Amino acid sequence: MLAIWVGKLVAWLLRLRGHDATSFPGKIALRFSPNLLRRFGRQLERVIIVTGTNGKTTTTSLLAAMISQQENIITNHKGANLIQGIVSACLRESSWTGRIRAKTAVLEVDEATFPLIADSLPIVVIVVTNVFRDQLDRYGELDTTVEKLFSAIRKTQACLVLNGDDPLCRHLGLRASRKTFYYGMDRATAKVSARKQMRDGQFCLQCGHELSYEGFWYGQLGLYRCPACDFVRPHPEFLGTYRGHTLTLAEDLVPELELTLPVQGLYNAYNVLAAASAARVLGLWADPIHAGLASYSPPAGRMQSFDVGAPVTLNLIKNPTGCDSVIETVTSDPRRKWVVIGINDLAADGRDVSWLWDADFEQLAEDEHVERIITSGLRAHDMALRLKYAGIDTNKIGVIEQMDDAMDKAVAEAAAAQAAVYVLSTYTLLHPAVHTLSEKVRNDESQTLAYRTSVS
Amino acid sequence: MSHRPLRIGHLFPDLLNLYADRGNILTLTQRLQWRGHDVIVDEITHADTPRFGAYDLVLLGGGSDREQMLVAGYLANHRTELRHAVEDGLPLLAICGGYQLLGAYYQVPSGEKIPGLELIDMVTNYSAGQPRLIGNVAILTEEAGVVMGFENHGGRTIHQGSPLGKVIHGHGNDGVSGLEGIRYRNVWGTYIHGPLLPKNPRLADAILRTMLQYAGIDDTLDPLDDRMEEEARRSFVKLRMPEVEAALG
Repeated sequence: MLAIWVGKLVAWLLRLRGHDATSFPGKIALRFSPNLLRRFGRQLERVIIVTGTNGKTTTTSLLAAMISQQENIITNHKGANLIQGIVSACLRESSWTGRIRAKTAVLEVDEATFPLIADSLPIVVIVVTNVFRDQLDRYGELDTTVEKLFSAIRKTQACLVLNGDDPLCRHLGLRASRKTFYYGMDRATAKVSARKQMRDGQFCLQCGHELSYEGFWYGQLGLYRCPACDFVRPHPEFLGTYRGHTLTLAEDLVPELELTLPVQGLYNAYNVLAAASAARVLGLWADPIHAGLASYSPPAGRMQSFDVGAPVTLNLIKNPTGCDSVIETVTSDPRRKWVVIGINDLAADGRDVSWLWDADFEQLAEDEHVERIITSGLRAHDMALRLKYAGIDTNKIGVIEQMDDAMDKAVAEAAAAQAAVYVLSTYTLLHPAVHTLSEKVRNDESQTLAYRTSVS
Repeated sequence: MSHRPLRIGHLFPDLLNLYADRGNILTLTQRLQWRGHDVIVDEITHADTPRFGAYDLVLLGGGSDREQMLVAGYLANHRTELRHAVEDGLPLLAICGGYQLLGAYYQVPSGEKIPGLELIDMVTNYSAGQPRLIGNVAILTEEAGVVMGFENHGGRTIHQGSPLGKVIHGHGNDGVSGLEGIRYRNVWGTYIHGPLLPKNPRLADAILRTMLQYAGIDDTLDPLDDRMEEEARRSFVKLRMPEVEAALG
């Protein structure tokens, strides 16, 4: 009881002072009652877990939006996916006596945290979006990530919703020996990629032979097959056809669903496909799925737009594959642009910044509409060096360690040139950037209002 | 320059690519091209037959234990040829998993031994329960001053040869000896990635000089404008390893 009071009090104080209360209240409450999550878990009827490397936050938000059309749910926001974040989410929906006002929880869980919480909650469905290279210093290596996921799955009775286009997910599904639903894209939409990109799961986890691919979507997601054994991409139960602004969801004997995508890009189409497939597995029909998508607003820092004198688009980067798709979005924008890249190396960012060299920043060198790139954050100089070796003219590269100053300069220069600004940043720089940009939008609005009042 | 293009052999980029070895290749090729040399990078996958006589430098990177096991299998047939080439002075840069492969074996926590190339009298052990050695690292080397980066390895490597450098910050070969990496003939072995070469341009140039000499090309390499590299080194050390600042000079 004390733990719940303290946790709720901390959350209330934080919010009162305008701070983010997504993790810290849970951290404090856990100090008073380390078993708190299990106590919350006993009150829940069903928990849906979303894990994987990329797309966890978006998939969780989409699925939560769909289910919450029908009932009150618990979900963790803003990517707060460690134990303290999950406990904070429960605290938010609990009374002062610890009663939870929901029966269902949709939780985003970090791959390393998952085994620690798996037996504390009544988990019925586990969604794994993909397994890419992410924050290697925290997990050791890619194989360790797969083992962590597997050990967590083994502690539950849950059925699995897996990305069938990802060989590492397929491997999990084969080893878990339980009811598994695969989702995947229509094979006609796979492409033969010209550019060499990192592919993490390109070797058969069953026999070690190199996988052969008929086509790719992105990263290692594609039409894979092992020439040496029987490892092959499964035929997906939930089949997606991505057409730019819509995604058609086809399922055996069920009428097709034409889904409107609330967020752009192929990797977001995968997130919508994952969420809609999980919703189907949970028994949702078409209406709540459509309504959930329509009510969804992108979480902080996923292609978030701000109009602050120049149009600014903010995006999180955290690993090579995710970063490549963000860079592709930047270079496919035909406008002239200023780019700010903020790199921190705190625990939540990953202390090892070597992944910057696996990401395809060469694409920025080939885009003649990139006028200037300002690097920022604790590892601003490492990023600048990466750009130099990517072949970008060093006169175009500037270093401003303070993120706010870097964004100010980019916005001022881009506004004068009527150009666009892209801000790419690692995790710990993202929320401060959202805060600063939102503040700017508010200031601009109030100035415009003041100006209008004075002339009327 | 009017000589044949230089040739770098990148061994198993499809398997050993865990710690941004692309950054090392990029650094070597850019620093050659900025000085007017042509360079070709041959990516040698498991389907190819490596011809160690044809390369002026060979790079062997890092991978997960599973991938390292596969590489050990592929290279077993070419071990003798590679050993002869190395004894003849072939420059070889081996990092992380590639470094471990230079020795007799790498014993993983399950007790299984991944056989090495036996180029160097060296063994690596990773016992169950031992923590991984992870973090920023800086060492003092004879040939290139302070070399810095990031290390992340479970294996503890032991050898009686000359180390690449002495640990100033971080763990090094085994976390206890205070030594990091190995120098043997024209072989550089190290756990340092980050990647290794972009922020250590003196080491990159030392390797390139050896490579040019081995290729029979007369060039002592004019200095480049390394101000961005210096800036990246200084700010990294100041932020993460302040006790190394004095050694930078």
